Amino acid sequence: MRNRLYLIADFNADTFARYLANTAMPDADVKVAPFGQVYQALTGPGPGTDWPALVWTQPETVSDAFRRAAAFEVVDPAQALDEVDAFASAVKRFAQHARSVFVPTWTQPCWERGYGMLEWRPRVGVTHLLARMNLALADALAAEPTIFVLDAARWLAAAGPRAVSLKSWYATKTPFGPAVFETAAADLAAALDGLGGRARRLIILDLDEVLWGGIVGEVGWEGITLGGHDHAGEAFVDFQRALKALTRRGIQLAIASKNDEAVALEVIDRHPEMQLRREDFAAWRINWADKGHNVAALLREVNLGPESAVFIDDSAVERARIMNAIPGVLTPDWPDDPARYRETLAGLRCFDAPHLTIEDRERKGMYTAERVRKETLATAGDLETWLRSLNMTVSVESLTAANLVRATQLLNKTNQLNMTTRRLAQQELQQWVNEPQNLMLTFRVADRFGDSGLTGIVGLTFEQETAKMTDFLLSCRVMGRNVEETMLHAAVTHCRARGVSSLVAELTPTARNAPCLAFLERSGLTRTSAYQFRWDVQLPYGCPPWVNLDDRTGAVSTADR
Amino acid sequence: MDRERALELIYEAIDVVNQQLPATQRLPRDPATVIVGTGGSLDSLGIVNFVLALEEKTADALGRSVQLLMPEWLGADDGPFQTVERLATHLTMLRPA
Repeated sequence: MRNRLYLIADFNADTFARYLANTAMPDADVKVAPFGQVYQALTGPGPGTDWPALVWTQPETVSDAFRRAAAFEVVDPAQALDEVDAFASAVKRFAQHARSVFVPTWTQPCWERGYGMLEWRPRVGVTHLLARMNLALADALAAEPTIFVLDAARWLAAAGPRAVSLKSWYATKTPFGPAVFETAAADLAAALDGLGGRARRLIILDLDEVLWGGIVGEVGWEGITLGGHDHAGEAFVDFQRALKALTRRGIQLAIASKNDEAVALEVIDRHPEMQLRREDFAAWRINWADKGHNVAALLREVNLGPESAVFIDDSAVERARIMNAIPGVLTPDWPDDPARYRETLAGLRCFDAPHLTIEDRERKGMYTAERVRKETLATAGDLETWLRSLNMTVSVESLTAANLVRATQLLNKTNQLNMTTRRLAQQELQQWVNEPQNLMLTFRVADRFGDSGLTGIVGLTFEQETAKMTDFLLSCRVMGRNVEETMLHAAVTHCRARGVSSLVAELTPTARNAPCLAFLERSGLTRTSAYQFRWDVQLPYGCPPWVNLDDRTGAVSTADR
Repeated sequence: MDRERALELIYEAIDVVNQQLPATQRLPRDPATVIVGTGGSLDSLGIVNFVLALEEKTADALGRSVQLLMPEWLGADDGPFQTVERLATHLTMLRPA
């Protein structure tokens, strides 16, 4: 869908709108509320509930107390905080009629020195007051799932001393210079990508000259540059630490390296300065084959599409190969100097996601478990023996406040096994499930290797005798383990409990959801048209015998099962 | 300031303002490019943004503040902002600090 954004600002936001529509989000539809009419725009009708919005104000516009404090009048900070609260309330009300709302923090120009050495003194410093106002704003909006406070101070810092231009303000009523808008536009585009489920989730790394200096095949693991009293060695260690930190945000790591596998793994296992060990990698391809093929194989192994991956390699030739072979993979230019690796990684905006769930934080362990799981598949012989050996439990829960964030995240980023690819903001999903005719089931999957967390969703709308399946989606992490069949079993069971006679599942084809169609075709449901399938609810739909089903919804009786 | 440096500064300012324009309306890095007047593709906000960007870049190059945002120049078809060529000639007359 075409990106869109509604801008509300207390300055002339036309220049910013132009940056957004022509550089950061090409061809985006950007509308600008009348200049300087922030409260009118916040209380007005707005462009529609499917529009994200940005509300960018200056502190003196929102708070008269701040304006007076900046003019060195004595003010009561409580008055400024009350004004912040009123502004936050207006934003919250507006957010009920918008898809999402972004609110940049309030800033001051770097040349505004206030009281100098007293700037951080409580009840005196303007900077201190502004910091309190920003914290109060963030706190007031913290519970709102569709409102995001953006760090505008970073935009100004990145733009340098000309971030704020009074001349631009006098001439065009635009206080910020182009460099501020450039950074802000890039951040906003990243945020909208994240909200659209387009955040990247996998970093595929080269080894030599990326994770360490030197060619390990030539110098051996003892001879590489890593750590020690060496600036380059320290830079490589620091870069590894930054990569490891990203895994705590749910970003997975993988390796694509031209090396002898045993030699490379020896570094990972034995080098005392390595920050990343085998358990930090979801998968690897360390061999002498073409990197294009290796990256494609890695993506298949971790069940992610190219649009989920970033490829980091010091060789421009290998980067060009990946850009050509798998253009969906993000392949950033990579600096020659390892001292710039960490900042280059931190500068990638492709990992921004609107939520951070327990599943995200534990994803590294989940992928490691999946690698071990697949290794056992190779030795198990046949698939059924392997599935039985997993000792799998699938738990069914209704949508609740406890799993709403994760369910929204899954709904908005699952592509392959996703029947309708319906995208809903958290608020919209909550509203949908509040309708009595709608039911959403969530599925958690665990086995002897670990807990994969909430990985499946089935949405149902009951219409007289028929239940229409509005959503059927499963994370690629657990595809192919009969969880799909278990979800259908649960759906049929719940349909029977609601007294309907048939279940209809209709796929909306996309470029990515062929795996879902393939599953429906082999599911045993009766095909009634090219993309429509039906099941007579009076007939039981069997649960795979190797799956322990734990229905925690309380909505089905033993007889229904 | 020599002519080559002046053209470089103008092209840098064009790069800034081009980020605000649709691909089909972007200004070519060419001495014949029209900035103000008949045949130009910048609207009034675009012209001011261009001049402000050029002012900053020229000030950096000369080591002193420069005043280029003159309403009488921006409204005139025969002023220094008519084309990149004429603007470069105007910049070469500016002296460093």
